[in-house]
Amino acid sequence: MSPRTWLIWSLAAVTVAVSTDNPVYRGLVALAALNVLLTWLPPGRRMKPLAVALVIAAALAALINVLASHTGADVLARLPSDWPLVGGALTLESLAFGSDVGLGLVAALLAVAPLSMVLEPHDVVDAMPGPLERTGIAVATSLNLVSGFGRTFTAVSDAQRMRGWRPRGIRSWSEVLVPVVLTAIEDSVLLAEAMEARGFGAARRTSYAATRWSRVDSAVVAAALGSAALFIGFRLAGVAIDWYPYPILYLPPINPALVAGCLALALPGFLPAERGR
Amino acid sequence: MPRSIARLEGVTYWYPGDAPPALSAVDLEIGPGLTVVAGGSGGGKSTLLRLLDGLVPQFHGGRIAGSATVAGLDPLRTPIPQLAQRVGLVFQDVETQSVYGTVEREVAFGLENATLPRTEMHERVDEALASLSIEHLRGRRLATLSGGERQRVQLAAVLAMRPALVALDEPTSQLDPEGSEAVLAACLRIARDGRAVVVAEHRLESLLASADRLLQVEGGRVSGTTEAALRRAVVSRTSHSPEPLEAAWEMIGVDAGPAGPRGAALLEGISLAGGAGEVVALVGPNGSGKTTLLRTLAGLLPALMGTVRRPAGRTAYLPQNPGALLHLPSVRAEVELTLRRAGPAPDVTASAGAMMAAFGLTHLAGRYPRDLSSGERQRAALAATLVGSPALVLLDEPTRGMDLAARRSLAAAVHSLTERGSAVVIATHDADLATELADRTIELRVGRAIEVEPGATPQTAATPPAAATPQAPR
Repeated sequence: MSPRTWLIWSLAAVTVAVSTDNPVYRGLVALAALNVLLTWLPPGRRMKPLAVALVIAAALAALINVLASHTGADVLARLPSDWPLVGGALTLESLAFGSDVGLGLVAALLAVAPLSMVLEPHDVVDAMPGPLERTGIAVATSLNLVSGFGRTFTAVSDAQRMRGWRPRGIRSWSEVLVPVVLTAIEDSVLLAEAMEARGFGAARRTSYAATRWSRVDSAVVAAALGSAALFIGFRLAGVAIDWYPYPILYLPPINPALVAGCLALALPGFLPAERGR
Repeated sequence: MPRSIARLEGVTYWYPGDAPPALSAVDLEIGPGLTVVAGGSGGGKSTLLRLLDGLVPQFHGGRIAGSATVAGLDPLRTPIPQLAQRVGLVFQDVETQSVYGTVEREVAFGLENATLPRTEMHERVDEALASLSIEHLRGRRLATLSGGERQRVQLAAVLAMRPALVALDEPTSQLDPEGSEAVLAACLRIARDGRAVVVAEHRLESLLASADRLLQVEGGRVSGTTEAALRRAVVSRTSHSPEPLEAAWEMIGVDAGPAGPRGAALLEGISLAGGAGEVVALVGPNGSGKTTLLRTLAGLLPALMGTVRRPAGRTAYLPQNPGALLHLPSVRAEVELTLRRAGPAPDVTASAGAMMAAFGLTHLAGRYPRDLSSGERQRAALAATLVGSPALVLLDEPTRGMDLAARRSLAAAVHSLTERGSAVVIATHDADLATELADRTIELRVGRAIEVEPGATPQTAATPPAAATPQAPR
């Protein structure tokens, strides 16, 4: 698929994921995006770091909501009321809504994951419309620095450990995190310098790669835009597409048209992954 | 006299907020051919190269006096994107200068910025790859390339702009000998094409024979110098062959590291030992597992199989890019931190002062380490690592970016440590360092460790591996 098709598909999937609170639709978007990602993931790219990030994001969202929101009829437990912020009832409804928020995060992250895990940095640049090309390069270069960030963290924590550092509470981590952040900033400045030295920042750029477009791209773009338009249209028309489990938990409503819209996002997952790449 | 490609007249440059000038009253002229820029760390070599392509002062700011002409343009005032089409700069770190993820697109990045038509871009990319004999890398991802290959890709990216002057800032400091040789050979080819090639390097031996001009940069002042003078500056080798006292550390049948290209552990069946007071050098190409072996020996990486034994007492470990560990407000604070962490010390201030003096850091003791040049930072990290009396010292590429004075300081520090009974293991691409310091040399090849006979040259990575042989200290 064309890089621009990937960009449109990702934006459409994110639009759907954030335009509704309904966990059914969010779950369908997450599943569709996961299927697409697994289908197109190039050999050698690892899913584990993303999976860990998704689990942490979802768990944090659920935890924060259940601790901070004390609304709901079904009380699971109580924390002492004199505890600031978290004191009070922990309810099934707040747990359900927190999990729904986490699911939305997972769906949105999976929707944008192909931009870094399937596409090459130059593909992201090629996908951007002219006025946003520099934004694309900023995104592409920052993605390049991510792997270096991990290596620096390992190197610094190794070196500090051998100098006698041991993790003892949050403050002790400053001896690792401060050098890692400083190194990341220095690396960013070096990269900026290297880009400047190669003429970046002049007038509008030309592109080395010719734009490719096929019927498959047209089909995927039509399905993705149709899906996003469906959700936006329903919302503008005032048709209920959300789910709000307070004060009493209930099953989320399901609209067949919106389910079909979510499933349309799964189209790239059924294409042969080699096509157009 | 050959035509001039770059001319500087009375150039003095101050970085923002820095009192002494980084370059002082520089007058020089550079013609076609190879110009080697030598000098100590922090002397102004990198600043001089950045001046040639306008990054100084346009990117870094600061104040500048004097005049300059490079490839017919004024680098002090001509916009850098315009200069980039006449002057190319290759940086030291192969990883932080890459923008894209694949070779072909990386080479084309500058051409896209120059708004060239697509057909011309393709022609120039072909030409640049061919000129460095790396056409076979065209479709590869940068992450899969060796350091030498990546540096040649960066050089190709610069050559694609067809510059009149190409500057390279310590381009081989992170490369193994094979990669260094390929990059320097490429530099010589470009120089023979009639362009000006300006290379700042600490390891001058391989460049001196071919240099058309040698510039010495010290304390911001630039002077022409002679080959003989530079040859005298090359570190002298000393005889050093202490008898090890006893086995201090050993690895028996160790498998370690992530899966390598063959799907097995990066290191397999490693059996090695080193004595107290003995220096063992680990050599081998990039990716052969030297760092993995050091980290396993340090206890930072668990052995998948086998036994690792370290001596009682502190293990000092210097990682690659050691400057990354520095985070305190002064060099002195960094050195003292290690001493305090190591346990009760009789006089922390005096010990720290002696170590800083050993590495020529006394005048920099109060400076913020990250404001220092890369070579000075390397020395500060070494002082902070080696201070005290570690029982085992593990050094990963300690001479990266080091000038000759710093190499001598390192050699003296290692001698001092071994005399006090420390066991030392050094992973290095620096053949001179290995020859000078090591009592034994171990080559890592395809996951195996093979002892190099005294006086023999380590083999290349392409040579089939011999069976792993347990080695004990002599």
